[in-house]
Amino acid sequence: MSKQLRKQTDRLLTDGLAVSAVSHGFDGTDVLEEISLAVRQGETLAVIGPSGTGKTTLLRLLAIFDRPDAGTVQLQGEDLWTLSERERLHARRQIGMVFQEANLFGTTVRQNVSYGLRVRRRWRDRFRGWLPGIGSGNTSRAVRDALSVVGLADAADQQASSLSGGEAQRVALARTLAYDPDYLLLDEPTSDLDPRNTAVIEEAVDTTRAQGLGVVIATHDMHQAERVADRVAVMVDGKIIELGPAEHVFERPDDPRARQFIDGELVY
Amino acid sequence: MIGTVPAIERASGPVIAAVIGPLFVEFPFERAYVLDTISVSLYVSLLAVFFSTLFSLPVAMAVGFSEFPGKQFLVAVINTGMGFPSVVVGLLVLFAVSNQGPLGGLDLVFTKEAMVMSQFVLATPVITGVSIAAVTSVEEGVRDAAYAMGGTRLDIALATIKEARYGIVTGVLAGLGRAISEVGSVLIVGGNIEGSTRTLTTAIQLETRQGRFELALVLGAILVALVLLINGVVLRLGGGRI
Repeated sequence: MSKQLRKQTDRLLTDGLAVSAVSHGFDGTDVLEEISLAVRQGETLAVIGPSGTGKTTLLRLLAIFDRPDAGTVQLQGEDLWTLSERERLHARRQIGMVFQEANLFGTTVRQNVSYGLRVRRRWRDRFRGWLPGIGSGNTSRAVRDALSVVGLADAADQQASSLSGGEAQRVALARTLAYDPDYLLLDEPTSDLDPRNTAVIEEAVDTTRAQGLGVVIATHDMHQAERVADRVAVMVDGKIIELGPAEHVFERPDDPRARQFIDGELVY
Repeated sequence: MIGTVPAIERASGPVIAAVIGPLFVEFPFERAYVLDTISVSLYVSLLAVFFSTLFSLPVAMAVGFSEFPGKQFLVAVINTGMGFPSVVVGLLVLFAVSNQGPLGGLDLVFTKEAMVMSQFVLATPVITGVSIAAVTSVEEGVRDAAYAMGGTRLDIALATIKEARYGIVTGVLAGLGRAISEVGSVLIVGGNIEGSTRTLTTAIQLETRQGRFELALVLGAILVALVLLINGVVLRLGGGRI
């Protein structure tokens, strides 16, 4: 990574969601090597690279699923793995993640979308929420609003199992937006979707970014990265080889491998 | 009883009489005796399955979601426990509650509580084993989703149990089936005392030995009807998906 890009990343580390010099691996194999990256609220960062290059691992570290073998994961400058479990839960609740698979619960769309809100309530309020018409007003409104953003306002009472793949993925996005996180992590969210569902999700991501969310989207679709991202990081073999504004990365990348990947010549 | 069935047969034909005839049987025994036996069976089995479920679910969650040395062995032991001979369980529980046993001070020999203990031991491997299979079949992505949305460990466990609910209920029903149809261990630890520890199964065993086959058959029909009723209620509550 160039000195200028590292400096830009370091400046962001104090006010965004960031990883700093993280390395991580599984079963003795290094997946990520000394990666530093940050995203601020109100911007979309696309992480592109060939399949198997460590994009999902990076997002799971940002979502505080796993503790990195080395380096730090930070939120607003706070090293998350030095916090207590309770403080880390609080940090986790400011971050939402949508996976490549929708992973919906086997209940209704409404229950899926309201899940994040329900787990944030005290147990007393959760019990009250089970009673019809009591204490569920805010939840209903948030569910309705989130489903509207993904164009599924009428689907609240459907069983999740009855949705198409595209609709399920849109519900997966809606249930993350429902609890209004500060950061949204998207792991190849449209890789199995048709163009219409892809467009709906990209539009929803754009809307939420405009509302102030920090978005990180991992994708191997460069056209998608070009459409949605303010900044782009190119990952190859567990390392970030290029990081900068989208126009710069796509038009004048510094690293020759980044150029090869963008031109479709880097074959894995 | 002998006069009732021919009367139905005359009125509705032999096929219908064969089906509904047993409903009009004039029971050759005290009504209180049957009600007592049914209530003891239900009390002992439902209580044992209730405690067994409370014990089995956390164990299933812990075993299903963690990796530790000897896990495969533990699962194998649990699965083996599903077929554990009930008379041996009865014998062990009898030793435990007898005067010289570790629970001797509680004076539990030939009590319903001792029967609950033995049925607990018999039902637990069934409920635990099936529940482990059910919770491990829940896709990891579902747990990841619960975590990503800010769930605590308890929230994630509850979400997993909810996803595995049909499998878990199947396990509980299988455990109830094992408990309520049990003869050997409850006979040993309960003593088959009329009005106190006599269950439907031990009553059937006794009546058969004494040559009262009609009564044994009626008690058997009641036992089957009870199991069907409980399964039906659970099926209904589960929305027909079990």
